[in-house]
Amino acid sequence: MSIDESTVRAVLGLARLELPGSSAGGPNEEENRRAVEVMVDEFSKIVDYMAILGEADVEGIEPLYSPMIDPQPPRPDEPVADPAKSEAILKEAPELVGRYFSVPRIF
Amino acid sequence: MTELWRLDLGQATLGLSSRRFSATELVSSALERIRETEPLIGACLAVLEEQALARARELDEAGYDETKPLWGLPIAVKDVFCLAGPPTTAGSKILANYHPVFEAAVVRKLKEAGAVIVAKTNCDEFAMGSSTEFSAFGPTKNPWRLDRVPGGSSGGAAASVAAFQTAGGLGTDTGGSIRQPAALCGCFGLKPTYGRVSRYGIVAYGSSFDQAGPLARNVDDLARLLTVIAGPDGRDSTASSREVPDYRRLDPVKPNELTLGLPKELWSADFEPEVAKILAEAKERIAAAGATLKEVSLPNLRFSVATYYILAAAEASTNLARYDGVRYGFRDGEENELVALYRNSRTKAMGAEVKRRIMLGAFVLSSGYYDAYFRKAAQVRRLIWQDYSKALEQCDLLLAPVSSILAWPFGAFTADPLKVYQLDMMTLPLNLVGAPGLSLPAGLSESGLPTGLQLMGRAFEEPRLLAAAKALEGVLPPVGAPSFRST
Repeated sequence: MSIDESTVRAVLGLARLELPGSSAGGPNEEENRRAVEVMVDEFSKIVDYMAILGEADVEGIEPLYSPMIDPQPPRPDEPVADPAKSEAILKEAPELVGRYFSVPRIF
Repeated sequence: MTELWRLDLGQATLGLSSRRFSATELVSSALERIRETEPLIGACLAVLEEQALARARELDEAGYDETKPLWGLPIAVKDVFCLAGPPTTAGSKILANYHPVFEAAVVRKLKEAGAVIVAKTNCDEFAMGSSTEFSAFGPTKNPWRLDRVPGGSSGGAAASVAAFQTAGGLGTDTGGSIRQPAALCGCFGLKPTYGRVSRYGIVAYGSSFDQAGPLARNVDDLARLLTVIAGPDGRDSTASSREVPDYRRLDPVKPNELTLGLPKELWSADFEPEVAKILAEAKERIAAAGATLKEVSLPNLRFSVATYYILAAAEASTNLARYDGVRYGFRDGEENELVALYRNSRTKAMGAEVKRRIMLGAFVLSSGYYDAYFRKAAQVRRLIWQDYSKALEQCDLLLAPVSSILAWPFGAFTADPLKVYQLDMMTLPLNLVGAPGLSLPAGLSESGLPTGLQLMGRAFEEPRLLAAAKALEGVLPPVGAPSFRST
């Protein structure tokens, strides 16, 4: 097994995800413990499988990041004023303060 | 006028153009069929009844317009395409109430061609899955056997078309998500060349893989739909401006004019016996019709599952970073710290499979692992691309199975995510190389389930693909209509 719990915790941090049930705590501790073990085990199996790429001979091979053949020029960067759209966009926000998206204080 | 829902797109167009029935009658019939079959299969996340009827009446008032190739035709689209009306959820709780302010390019094109969007179909959350079991809103059932999955991720679209709810639907294919459910539900599905169709307004999963395409009950109808949705819209820089041919008017090809390459790595997979039997019979029929079948090799194919899952997960983790509970979508309102707000909103509203792929993506992109996984996978992707190009130097198109097993019982693999990834082995290579592919029914098993074959071609050779598929369609046994058996 190449992956341990601390690696999984680090990856969860990068992914902006929590361990299952970690914010609940308390009475479900045993359940949470089990959920963490399952996650480490699953993730480990997946990463171990990916090690098959070690057998590929890629000496001198350029990476292929996109199969795009006919790239198009980007469109001009022109701001568009559409008040109706702004209203519709703001309507989607879970929390607003006036016309601003609201987040918890950061300092 | 009864049972208009039985008509395919071509037949319905004939009826509409000769004024045998109206768009309103046709759309009403589709809505009735949806009402009747939805309790059995659950293919739709939203039925746009009022919107669709209003649109149909509008079309009828204006009168039939032969310049609009899909005039009056009811179409269902996978719930990853943004459009006004019901929420665009992508099968996720995090977007359960999301109303996009823009419309997907392909939806706009469908509407401009006169189509009437009648439903938004179910899918695995963010199109990540092969069974539709990962939809946050419950699974769709296979219309052939209600105890079986319809495949995925466009399982709702495939089940809907197979159940005659509509004669045509749109899905997306990132690693097989059109072709595999089409095969498991006994309909036709086309994944166009990467860049043939604009991705504007499609909820993104893997941006160098995602491509929208049609599902239908015959090859001609795929061509009708592709002719409408292909081409750039000026808002997706990866969409090609190459001329879009009229795919409906192709020079026919006879089976005996075809040389088809059979990738031995795909044909030697471990097949479920009933699948092996159908495939062997199908191959015999194709050979008997005069096609030349030739073994070819894709030597690096054994790396395709690892390559795909590393690259697609990396792209997914980047694309899905936008769901943070701030600007739209679900927010965990209890948090009073910013990063905790992100983490809890995402953790509470995303499903296990989506989290797994985001984690895998974050892992392979992280410092220390980037070269060994992400860059290496991109290099292997080029090897697979080279294999694919080389194989196609020896034949017109490749012919391969779509799935090694029949539609499986619900829950069969949910505890083993890696096994499900490996099941995608037949379909992923095409997305890695960005080429077009078409899945068509190959026959029915004794247990009453369909499976499929796929044709794969070179980039932008959809005309050849469609013409060859049409030739094979006449050779392979039609699967007919599903029975909605419960077991």
